[in-house]
Amino acid sequence: MATAEATLARQDTGERVMRALLTALAYGAPLLFILVPLLLFVLQSFFYVENTDIVHRFTLANYVRFFSEATFIPIFFYTCLLSLGAALITVVLAYPVALLLASLSGRIKYALTLVFIVPLLMSYIIKIYAIRSILGGNGFLNRMLIGIGLIDQPITFLIFNLYAVMITLALILLPFTMLPIFITLDKIPRQLIDASYDLGATGWQTFRRVILPLSLSGTLVGASFTFVLGLGDFVTPQMVGGMNGLTFGRIIYSQFGFAFNWPFGAALSVILLIFVAFVLLLAGRVFMRGSATS
Amino acid sequence: MRLSGPAITALSAIAVFVVLLLYGPLAVAIFFSFFRLERNAVAWDSFSFDAYSTLFHNDAILDSLLTTLVVGLSAVALSLVFGTLIAFHYRNSRSRLRHVLQFVVFLPFLMPPIITGLSLLIFFRETNVQRSLLTVVIGHTVFVLAIVYQIVLTRLRALKPSLIDASLDLGASRWQTFRLVIMPNLTSAFVSAAILAFALSFDETLITLLVTGTKNTLPMWLWSSMRLGFKPDINALVTLILFFSTVLAFVAMRLFRPASRT
Repeated sequence: MATAEATLARQDTGERVMRALLTALAYGAPLLFILVPLLLFVLQSFFYVENTDIVHRFTLANYVRFFSEATFIPIFFYTCLLSLGAALITVVLAYPVALLLASLSGRIKYALTLVFIVPLLMSYIIKIYAIRSILGGNGFLNRMLIGIGLIDQPITFLIFNLYAVMITLALILLPFTMLPIFITLDKIPRQLIDASYDLGATGWQTFRRVILPLSLSGTLVGASFTFVLGLGDFVTPQMVGGMNGLTFGRIIYSQFGFAFNWPFGAALSVILLIFVAFVLLLAGRVFMRGSATS
Repeated sequence: MRLSGPAITALSAIAVFVVLLLYGPLAVAIFFSFFRLERNAVAWDSFSFDAYSTLFHNDAILDSLLTTLVVGLSAVALSLVFGTLIAFHYRNSRSRLRHVLQFVVFLPFLMPPIITGLSLLIFFRETNVQRSLLTVVIGHTVFVLAIVYQIVLTRLRALKPSLIDASLDLGASRWQTFRLVIMPNLTSAFVSAAILAFALSFDETLITLLVTGTKNTLPMWLWSSMRLGFKPDINALVTLILFFSTVLAFVAMRLFRPASRT
């Protein structure tokens, strides 16, 4: 009897030790590889560089430089505008498609939804490559147009400027915007729409007064996904923006490349991070309110 | 939701346009892996697999493909272990801290990838870790962890508590219950999480660019060679990648469907 209890107790401690170990692992890994790097990164933004060495001493100089030098705020501002433009394009294109998908049912709905989601899992860099090979000066579109004799010289305004960056971002991020819109539209109860029709509303009135207000929250979430991802991107602007496609993401990236000013790059990223957090929180609040009323 | 006839027509027209926008560029790349442009017109008689044979003789590409697979599989394995561990903890623990933990896990997915990449870059420098494949694997694991965690947690929540009670009532130990009841019920969640995590890792560019050492993953190789110009063998590579990622996407979606029903 006593030995059996002892075995049980031993098993108990064994299990407890095991559990403590697993809990430690569950916390330890994300702490070490997500939280600590993030803190070090914020800390870095308060250091400075002297003769290619990072001096680990506290300074606000990096932040002062962002606000005082004339170049950075305008770049930040038009990068915001650019991402906002990309987000708007995606909403204008994605909303009608999401509405169509939500109105379908059965196999065809599932199949068509897949058609619009699969690009999410397709290579990002390949999409940029493909778009660039069409729009580029030596690209498919130009060569075809010259081939049929519509133009003599390659059109150059299609690529290596900020519009090209905006359009490319919109094309790549479109599925990100569409998914949340589709989800909110799909969740609207049938009865609400039936009730609207029964009360004599036309299709347009039902859309304006019932469907649109109920789907605004998802639309906002989708648009903010695209906005945030566009804001921090540095590969797309470099690939299709060329010399004229300088964006905030590229400025940050260059601080870690040839400019070699990690603390300043970190400060610029912290500013980006704060702005992004603000946008996401705002979107989250609106979304919560939207789902609370529905 | 009912739509009127004209509304459906208008929406369908936009949908077709969007499909063209999404797939058109890719179709052009695929097309030019088989055909050539000659004097600014498509040479219709130039159909060949030449681009593909050039591709398979390019050691740099094959090498980076291998690297990508190794990184992807390692990140999948690590994120499955830790994602599951954290999901179990979140499900079973009463501690308030688990919400904080969940938030931390989601951070790399919520933040712009450049932030995740930079913070790891600074972390590795401050701790004197050389950038290598290992740092890339860590970067990818951190990035896909949230997805794996969410999928496993969703399935864990769908698991009926009565199932576990029944197992314990029938005399199974906790370990036996875990191994024989809980784990088999999670298999399909593991498979879809693994596929999705692999697809994300396969494609990851922004974080990788920041934490990579000397060995290139495929997106890195593409990025560096694309700046030099377009070659048919890149189109061939693009075609192959698209083919495999589409197949993977469909497999993952099929697995997702029953998961969302339970």
